[in-house]
Amino acid sequence: MSDSPLVQLSDLTVDFDGRFTCREVNWAIESDQHWLICGANGSGKSAMAAIIAGFGHVESGAMDIVPERVGLVSFEAQAELIEAERRKDDADILDVISEGTPVSEIIAATCVDPELADRLTFEFGLDGLLDRAFRKLSTGESRKVMLIRALTSDPQLLVLDEPFAGLDSRSSAALGRHLVDVAETVPIVIVLNRVDQRPDFITHVGLVVDGRLSEQIEVTDTAALGEVMQLVHLQASDLDVPPPDPDSKLPDLVPGEPLVRLTSAAIRYGETVIFEDLNWTISPGEHWQVSGPNGSGKTALLSLITGDHPQCYVNDLVVFGFQRGSGESIWQIKQFIGYVSTALQWEYTVGISLRNVIISGFYDSIGLYNKYTDRQREIAHEWLAVLGMQDRADQRFGEQSYGDQRLLLIARAMVKHPPLLILDEPCLGLDEVNRQKVLALVEIICGGSETTVLYVSHDTADRIRGMDHNLMLGDSLRSA
Amino acid sequence: MSNNYFNTLALREQLEQLGQCRFMHLDEFDDGVAALKGKKLVVIGCGAQGLNQGLNLRDSGLDVSYTLRDAAIAEQRQSWKNATENGFTVGTYDELIPSADVVLNLTPDKQHTSVVNAVMPLMKKGACLAYSHGFNIVEEGMKIRDDITVIMVAPKCPGSEVRAEYVRGFGVPTLIAVHADNDPQGDGLALAKAYAVGTGGHKAGVLMSSFVAEVKSDLMGEQTILCGMLQTGSLLCFDKMVAEGIDPGYASKLIQFGWETVTEALKYGGVTNMMDRLSNPAKLKAFDLAEELKVIMRPLYNKHQDDIMTGTFSQTMMADWANDDQELLGWRADTAETAFEKTPAGDVEISEQEYFDNGILMVAMVKAGVELAFETMTAAGIIADSAYYESLHETPLIANTIARKKLFEMNSTISDTAEYGCYLYNHACVPLLADFMTRINTDVIGAGLDLEDHGVDNVRLIEVNEAIRSHPVEAIGAELRGYMSDMKKIV
Repeated sequence: MSDSPLVQLSDLTVDFDGRFTCREVNWAIESDQHWLICGANGSGKSAMAAIIAGFGHVESGAMDIVPERVGLVSFEAQAELIEAERRKDDADILDVISEGTPVSEIIAATCVDPELADRLTFEFGLDGLLDRAFRKLSTGESRKVMLIRALTSDPQLLVLDEPFAGLDSRSSAALGRHLVDVAETVPIVIVLNRVDQRPDFITHVGLVVDGRLSEQIEVTDTAALGEVMQLVHLQASDLDVPPPDPDSKLPDLVPGEPLVRLTSAAIRYGETVIFEDLNWTISPGEHWQVSGPNGSGKTALLSLITGDHPQCYVNDLVVFGFQRGSGESIWQIKQFIGYVSTALQWEYTVGISLRNVIISGFYDSIGLYNKYTDRQREIAHEWLAVLGMQDRADQRFGEQSYGDQRLLLIARAMVKHPPLLILDEPCLGLDEVNRQKVLALVEIICGGSETTVLYVSHDTADRIRGMDHNLMLGDSLRSA
Repeated sequence: MSNNYFNTLALREQLEQLGQCRFMHLDEFDDGVAALKGKKLVVIGCGAQGLNQGLNLRDSGLDVSYTLRDAAIAEQRQSWKNATENGFTVGTYDELIPSADVVLNLTPDKQHTSVVNAVMPLMKKGACLAYSHGFNIVEEGMKIRDDITVIMVAPKCPGSEVRAEYVRGFGVPTLIAVHADNDPQGDGLALAKAYAVGTGGHKAGVLMSSFVAEVKSDLMGEQTILCGMLQTGSLLCFDKMVAEGIDPGYASKLIQFGWETVTEALKYGGVTNMMDRLSNPAKLKAFDLAEELKVIMRPLYNKHQDDIMTGTFSQTMMADWANDDQELLGWRADTAETAFEKTPAGDVEISEQEYFDNGILMVAMVKAGVELAFETMTAAGIIADSAYYESLHETPLIANTIARKKLFEMNSTISDTAEYGCYLYNHACVPLLADFMTRINTDVIGAGLDLEDHGVDNVRLIEVNEAIRSHPVEAIGAELRGYMSDMKKIV
């Protein structure tokens, strides 16, 4: 084991042709480590790996890479080699049809271990294609060639960006077996979207968020690893919002009418005025962000809408067509609202299963007091699958981490596809990974349903994509 | 002044009313709050029950306002603040009572006579007067105008719980009754059911009872097992532990949170489950202690029930009312001066199981108290369902209050009537158990059994298990908890 790391990136910012920037990266790779790099699509995980293979333009910070021979396999490197082959063809001045460089030559150009090259060629099923022009190979076939080149060039460090993508199962298995051997002597960095498919030799996992290496954890830290796996799952682009329950349809709202209309609203406690003269209309499809400092009345304002604030009965307030205080019950109001807040999480102290927590959203109850249908149970399971908790349906809510409880309550709020979803400081009290999980889930919801979202934050900088309207509470609203 | 209503009844009528108790099915509440829809509900009093019931009724779509005594409004007392800050209309009796369709009397027992005498002349013909406790009607013999319907809706929980459970989308078990002498239009039951729905009670289970059965069982439960036994047990167990050299901070904590912990087991699975939480040798020990306690305390339980039935208890208490609550206030001050109250819970970790292992005597006291109260009530003609709610069911709720701020919290949460009865019991029970306590060691309170061998005799264990499981409170408890969980958390 060497004293200094093989790779040391310090406060490094690297630009990729103005298209993408990796920022303030601090990362050390020791000679006895194997890293998995993961992150959402577009997060910059491939760029992060490319930096150690020497790509990108260093804007600031320091980079020290000891190995001279870095074996790189990536879609970009593959595309580059194919493009180079094509240019060679175009540049040919002879008026003959060029066949291009055969596979055998492409491999031999960098190979220092012909015996290994032969074995891998056989195991990858390329032995019949050695004479074929490289640029005529299929994507999967050319990827195999890239792998053989990287593995047979006696690399001191291997950087493999989605190495299993496009490989048939036989080749995948062969590559997996071979990497186990290589890992004995060569440090490996693998970019992979499926954390659960990581090879056993991986010792560290790095999570990339918005071009930053936001988490670095050891795989022995199973709790932290679980959090990252769940986040990566939530950020996968193929998740859909489970459907509503066809048998528990909400009453129809009058089209075009606002969901909420407050006229000259006020909240007062004795002499203290929290806010007054507030006029506010929320129309369907208008996503609102409500901001304001602590104590400006954000939560009180929301609870007027949800009916949890007793002064909803003394304000001129129309919600979902009901003039409040005209004989409607609170359950007629709540059926149209999904609601998540820290306070709800504190109040949700019922020892029930995760499945039932989600089903309770159909009944707007804390705890579950109704007989539910098989369909509702199925929908709850679909939501658990979205959250990456399908194996935990029978676990108790109270035993879950704080962040997972928050995700469950968001799913509970959305399970009935409410016309209005109120998220009161949904990221409050969460660490970075859990904050990312919540934001990922909210984006899935915003993108996949007809629900109007009301998002509350004390921090104006804390924004969610798609919030097109703003209400700012603060001193200006409090008239003297 | 007062004329005990129960004592005016013939024995046949007494038995009939005492024996009224039926667990109602959810489908009996299909009409929801319809019987009260659009009617003016005026609540008198805005304490814990008054405010929280009103909040629930309003959230159920009903028209609720509050009336307070002139002084409370003029001086803007706490009850006035409670009502106005929650956005309710508040007015004097003269302003609100004449237009009220239903008047909900949610003041303390002691004020009932003066309140009812003040509002009755103002009430419109054919209106309804509702109570949450029947003391005024049964013990004081209050006569209500013939045209007025008199009902009772009594949530079997403190006011804060009534609200908290409603907000969760559930409710608390509730007892309803119609005063047979005052149901001129025959709609008393419909009104009581709608009121129970408005507070959310129908979701947690409603017992249809009578004013008489409610009062006679409620008084018995709160005086003996619920408050009296917990107070006596707290004081005796604490003094014993300290005398035997247990750290006072530990002793204080073991008791303050011990009642809550052991009765939580009671809530889920009755006496059987509470006893099952003990090791086998500890269970046998607790069983023997409980048997001994039952023999010693049975005459006291009988006396309380007898005094309640004959009206002796209410007479004694009303005499204290007339005497400016001198006894009540004196006993309250004495309680505050006890070593248990004055010793804060120590900063020690006590695991959930340790409360059982080191609190064998507390478990025995709960078992003895629950069974004795139940046996005494049913022997007096109270139906098992009612006796269950007024003994076993409510014990964990009262134990929770001790966990918050000891006996002070318990005695401030319960009604003055319950508090008075609790002290009566305590003063009789402490000396009664003096000799028994001299034979108690830390192995059953404070330190746990010190055994090399945890073996027990099979035959003996089977006998004891059979005795625990076959007690009648266990049979009715299993049935009623079954109804509850049908409706409650489907876990």
